[in-house]
Amino acid sequence: MGQPARPSRAAIPPEPARQQLSLLPAAATPATAPRPPETHTATRDARPRQEHWMAIDLPHLALEALARAEPDPARLQRPLLVVESSPAPRVHAANRAARQAGARPGMALGDALAVLDTPELVEHDPDALRAQLKMLAGVLLQFSDHVHPEPEAQRILVEVGRSRRLFGGLETLRDQARDTLTELGFHPRIGLARSPAAARLLARLRNPAIAEDPEALRRILSPVPLEALPLAAATREGLRAVGLRQLGDLLRLSRPELARRHGPELLDLLDRLLARRAETLPRFAPPPVLDLSLRLEHEIHATAALAFPLKRLLRQAEAQLRGLNRSLQGMTLELAHREGRTRLSLERGQPGIRAGEWLPLWQTRLDRETLPAAVIGLRLQAPRLLDPPARGNSLLAEDPASTPPADQLPAVLARLRARLGEQAVARLVNHRTPRPEDAQRPRHDLAATPDPAAPTPGQRACGTALWLQGPEPAAPPDQPQWLGRLEDGWWDQGQDARRDYARTRDRQGRRLWLYRCLRSGQWYRQGYWG
Amino acid sequence: MSALDTLLDHPALWRGRSAAPAPNAPVWPSGHAELDRALGGGWPRGQLIELLGAPFGCGETRLLVPMLAACGRDGYWIALIAPPATPWLPGWQTLGIPPERVLLIHTEHDRDTLWAGEQCLRDPAFGVLLAWLSGPVETALLRRLRLAASESRACAILYRPPNAAAQPSPAHQRLRWQPADSGLELHCLKGAGHWARSGHPLQVPEPPEA
Repeated sequence: MGQPARPSRAAIPPEPARQQLSLLPAAATPATAPRPPETHTATRDARPRQEHWMAIDLPHLALEALARAEPDPARLQRPLLVVESSPAPRVHAANRAARQAGARPGMALGDALAVLDTPELVEHDPDALRAQLKMLAGVLLQFSDHVHPEPEAQRILVEVGRSRRLFGGLETLRDQARDTLTELGFHPRIGLARSPAAARLLARLRNPAIAEDPEALRRILSPVPLEALPLAAATREGLRAVGLRQLGDLLRLSRPELARRHGPELLDLLDRLLARRAETLPRFAPPPVLDLSLRLEHEIHATAALAFPLKRLLRQAEAQLRGLNRSLQGMTLELAHREGRTRLSLERGQPGIRAGEWLPLWQTRLDRETLPAAVIGLRLQAPRLLDPPARGNSLLAEDPASTPPADQLPAVLARLRARLGEQAVARLVNHRTPRPEDAQRPRHDLAATPDPAAPTPGQRACGTALWLQGPEPAAPPDQPQWLGRLEDGWWDQGQDARRDYARTRDRQGRRLWLYRCLRSGQWYRQGYWG
Repeated sequence: MSALDTLLDHPALWRGRSAAPAPNAPVWPSGHAELDRALGGGWPRGQLIELLGAPFGCGETRLLVPMLAACGRDGYWIALIAPPATPWLPGWQTLGIPPERVLLIHTEHDRDTLWAGEQCLRDPAFGVLLAWLSGPVETALLRRLRLAASESRACAILYRPPNAAAQPSPAHQRLRWQPADSGLELHCLKGAGHWARSGHPLQVPEPPEA
C-alpha cells in the first residue's frame, strides 16, 4: 500500500528477486481469487484489489470448548487431558496443570498417566470441535464475507483485504477479531499476510508483523526456519543436507535449480507463501439452521423465571439471523434438566425474527407448562430458516380493517397454538377419497396453504351436509329425502362402499344425514345436515 | 326544532325505537329477507350474538350459511371453536364457503373456548366466529368477549344450551331457536330492534337445496 521499500535489502540481494519476478509474469499483479459477481461494483475503486488474509489459529480449541461448558472452574485447575480414543490412545490436548507436570499433546496416554496424578480424562470429540469451529466461523463473518474454516488444523482463514478500511486498518481489525474471540472464551493466535499460506505460517509462529507489500513479506519470512514450513520430511531432510536453514536462504536460490533438486512442490509452496500464486479457498457458508444454547448459572424452578435467559437467547438469534439475512416462522426450545430434557416448539402465522415478538409467545407457551425438574440449560433451534419477506411497496401500513391479505395466516394463530397446543388448531384438507369419514384430514402445519381441492363428484353425490360424525348405525328413517349414490372401492377387496345417501328429520327435530349401505341394507348416520 | 333534528340525525346517536340500524353498520347478509329485516340488515358485524337451543344439528348452522359464504368470499377467515362435530367441508365448499378459510380450534374447557374466541376477535383477519359452549360460564368472560366483538369487525356467534337463557348475558343479542316443521323458529330474547320488544317468533324456513 504505497509503503516505500526500506533500505534493508542487504539481507536479500535485489538481483535474484527481480529475476524471479520476471520469471513469473503472474507475480507482478497481486493474486486475486475468483469471486462471484457482486452488485455494488460502482463504489469500488479501479485499483486492483489486494487480498489480505488473517489466519486465526485456535490451538487450545478442545480445552477452551470444554471450559466454556464447565460450570465448575475448580475442576479446570486440576490436570486434565483430552484423549483421542484409538487402539493406541494419545493425548490430544492437555491443560496448563497437566503440561506443567510434563504431559504433552501427542504423547501416548500411558506415558502421560505415568507422569500425572489421576488426571481428568475427557474424550476427544472431533465432531464437536468442528461444530465449534463452524460456530466461530459464523461469528467471524462479521469481519468479512470470505471466511474459510480449516477444522483439521483448528484454524480459520479470513480475507480482510476488502474490509480493512471499514474497520480502520489491519491492526484494529486484528484486535477486534481477537477481542471478539476472547469474549467468547477462546484464545487465538493470529497471523496477517498477503497470502493464506504466509498467514498460516505467521499465526503458527505467533509473529505479529504485518506485511503490506511483497518486499516486506519477504523480509518477514526470510528468518523463518525451514522446520516451520509444511514440507515433506524427505524434502526437509534434503534441504538440511545442503546447509539451508532459513526461508531466506531458499529464496536466494535459482528457481529451476530448486525445482530440479527438490521437486515442484517446494516452488509451489514458496509461490503461495509470497502470494505469487493464488490459493483459492472455498467460502464458508453458514449452515442454514439456528442452534443456540445457553447454560444457566443457577437452576431455574419456575417457568416465569425462564423469561430472562430466553430473552438473551432470542436476542442472540435475532442478531445471528440478521447476519444471515434469514427469517423464521417456527422454533423449538429445549429445556435441559439434570436428567432428561423438555422439548417445546412454537410456530407463528408469519415469519419474523424480532426477539420482542417471540418472547411474549414463548411466555404464553411456557405458562402452560409445568416444569418436571429444575432447568439447567436452554437450547433454541430452528430447523427451517426462510428467506426474509419482501418489503411491501406501500409506504403506509394498510388499514387493518380492510380485506386481509389472502396468502397470510392470521397472526393470532401463534398465540392460540402457544396456549392450546399444536394439535388444537387445524385446517381440514380434502383428500378426495370418496367416503366422507376418510375424506378429510386435519392439517396442523399451518404455514403451508393447502390447495383448495374441489369436491369430487362422489363427494357431491353425498350432498351438502354440514357436519360429519363417524358413521353410526341408525334406525331406518320414515321419509328419507334421497340425495345420491356413492359407489366406490370396487378395486379394494371387500372394502367397497355402495351407499345411498339421504337426509331426514328425527323426532327431536334434528336434520340427520344418513346413508343406507346397499350391501347390507343397514342404515347409518353420517352426520348432521344442518 | 331543526337543532334537535340535526342532533337526532347524528350517526353516533342511537335511538332505541328505530328499527333501522345505523346506515353504515356493517352486516353479513342472512340470506332471508324477513330475518334481515328483523336483525336490522343482516347479521351484525362487531357484535356478540348468542344462539340458544338444542339439540345440535337442527339447522342452526345452516341458518348461517349465507353469512359464512359472504365472509369467505370477502377473504375473511372463519373460526370454528369447539364444534360438537367435524365440519364436512366438501359440503361447505359446495355451498360457497372456501374451506381453506375455515380454521378449526379444539379446546378442552369453555374457558379456553372463550379465550380463543377473544383472541380471534382481536385479529382483523377473522370475519365470523362460531363458538360452542357446553355449560354455564362466568359473566366476566362473556363480557370480555363482548368487548372484543364490539371492537372487531367480525360477527361472533356463541352457541349455548337452552338453559343458559336463565342466566343474564352481556351479549348484544340473544336468540333462542327451536326446530319447527319447515325450519327453525327464532325467538329474540334480547336485542336492539323492535323484534325484541314484539316478542313474536320468526319462522326461518330451511333454504331450498342448491
